[in-house]
Amino acid sequence: MARVILVFNKKVIKEYPFDKESMAIGRNEANDIVIDNLAVSSLHARIDKAGETYIITDLQSTNGTFVNNKQITAHKLQHKDKIVIGKHLLFFALSREEQAKVKKADIDKTMILDTSKQKELLARNADKDVKKERIGVINFIDGSGEGEIQLIKKLTKIGKADTSEIRLGGLFMPATAATISRRPNGYAITATGGRTKVKVNDQVIKESYFLKDFDTIEIGSYKFQFYIQGSEDEK
Amino acid sequence: MKIKAAGFSDTGVKRDSNEDALAVDDSIGLYIVADGMGGHLAGEVASNVAVNIIQKNVNHWVTNNSSEDNIFDFPDSALSRRGNYILSSIKLANRVIHEMSNEYEEYKGMGTTIVVLSIMPSTVIAANVGDSRIYLIRENTIETLSKEHSLVSEQLEMGLISKEEAETSPLRHMLTRNLGSSDTVNADVFEIKPMNNDRFLLCTDGLTDLVSKDEILEIVKNGDDPENLCQQLVSEAKKRGGHDNITVSLIFADEIDDKMPGLIKKFRYLFKK
Repeated sequence: MARVILVFNKKVIKEYPFDKESMAIGRNEANDIVIDNLAVSSLHARIDKAGETYIITDLQSTNGTFVNNKQITAHKLQHKDKIVIGKHLLFFALSREEQAKVKKADIDKTMILDTSKQKELLARNADKDVKKERIGVINFIDGSGEGEIQLIKKLTKIGKADTSEIRLGGLFMPATAATISRRPNGYAITATGGRTKVKVNDQVIKESYFLKDFDTIEIGSYKFQFYIQGSEDEK
Repeated sequence: MKIKAAGFSDTGVKRDSNEDALAVDDSIGLYIVADGMGGHLAGEVASNVAVNIIQKNVNHWVTNNSSEDNIFDFPDSALSRRGNYILSSIKLANRVIHEMSNEYEEYKGMGTTIVVLSIMPSTVIAANVGDSRIYLIRENTIETLSKEHSLVSEQLEMGLISKEEAETSPLRHMLTRNLGSSDTVNADVFEIKPMNNDRFLLCTDGLTDLVSKDEILEIVKNGDDPENLCQQLVSEAKKRGGHDNITVSLIFADEIDDKMPGLIKKFRYLFKK
C-alpha cells in the first residue's frame, strides 16, 4: 500500500496509508489529510488511485501545488515524489511490492538520473545549499572587544601569524595555535601544537574535537564561545 | 613533511572492463580517484579525462602560483588558493566531459564521480562529486571527508528515510551530481589541518559497497606500507563478490612540522637582507 508522509519543518508530522481510492488534502477538517495552515486552501488537492498509478490534482487552490519543485495541475506520482503545499511537504512513497513492479533495473549499476530530473535536483540542491549551510560563529567573551567572528572559511587559522583568519597576540602565542575546519559532520577544532594550550569546556584538547553549540574555547588568555548561527527558518 | 602514497585499481570479479581511473602525483601532493559510468567504454573515457584534466591544471597553476583570477570559473572566497585550484579544475573537467558527450554519439550520457586530495604541510584539501569517498584515519578513528551526492543520502539527510533503509535502498546508486551530465557542477570541498600520522583513503564504491567503514579502519591502521594495504583492501572487496571495479589510493602523512621556530626565521630573514 502506498503512503503519504506529511513533513513540516523537517519533522514528520503524520503518516497516512493510502487505503482508499482517493485522498483529499486541505485545511478543512473533512479532508483525509488535514493541513492546518492559512497558506492551504480548504480543499486544496486530491490524490486519486487509478489502477496501479496515483494521480495528484490541484483543485484550483490559491497558492498552488508543487511536485518536485514544479507547479502542477495534475501529475502522475512516482515513488519518492515530493509534494509541497504551502510550507508543508508531502512525501509520496510506494510499498516495496509496488516499487518492485515499477522497477526492474539493475540495482548494482550506478546510474545517472535523466537530465531533466537531474537539472531539477541540481537546481534544488543549489538553493538548498545556500539555505542549509549554517555558519558557525565564535564570540570573544574575554572582554577584548573583538566581538563576533563568523567562520565562513573552510579552514580558519587562529594564532599570531599574519595569515591567520583570527589573529591573537601574546608572548607564547604560536603562529598557528589552533584551526577550525568545516567538515562533513560539523565544525572541528584542532590544536596545532605549540606552548599555548587549547581548551574546550575547560578540557585541554590534544587533537581534534567537534564543536557543539555554546562550547567555550580557551586559547592562552583568550576565551571564546562557539555557536551555530540562526537556522533558515528565521528569515 | 614526509608522504608515503600508493594507488591501486582492479577490474573486480564481475565486470569486463575497468571504468575507474586514478592518479598519484607526489610532486605536488595530489591524489585523484574517479569512477566512470556510461555504456561501451564511455565511462572509461570520462574517468580518465577527468583525472588528466585535474592533474594537469592543478599542476600548472601550482607551478605558476596562478592568482584566483586566472583560473577557470569564479573562485570561492571560503577556500584557500589551493582549494580554489582544485574546485576550478573539477569544474573544468566537468565542462569538457559534458561537451564531449554532446559532441560525439558514442560518448553520449557518459559521466564520472571524482575525489581529489591535496596535501600540504599547512592544509589538506578534500574535494568530491558523486559517491566515491575520502576517509581520514587518525589515531583509532575514521572520519568521512567527502559528501555523498546520491538521492538516498540526500533523503537520509532530510530525515525522510532511516540509515537501514538507505543501505538497502534500490536507489542507493542513483547519483544527484556527477561530472559530465550537466554543463555546470559544484563540488564539496573541505580543508583541514593535517596531523602527524594522518592516513587518507580515496576509494570508489566498488570498495565501500562491500567493506564497511569500521573494517576499513581495522585494515588501514594495522599496517605501515600503503602499497600493501591498498592490495589488502582490494582483495577483501574481491573476496566478497567484487561486483564493481575497485580503486583505492592511500596517503600517509608524517613529520608535518618542518617549520623553523619563528625567532630563527626572523633572524635569517634579517641576514638575507
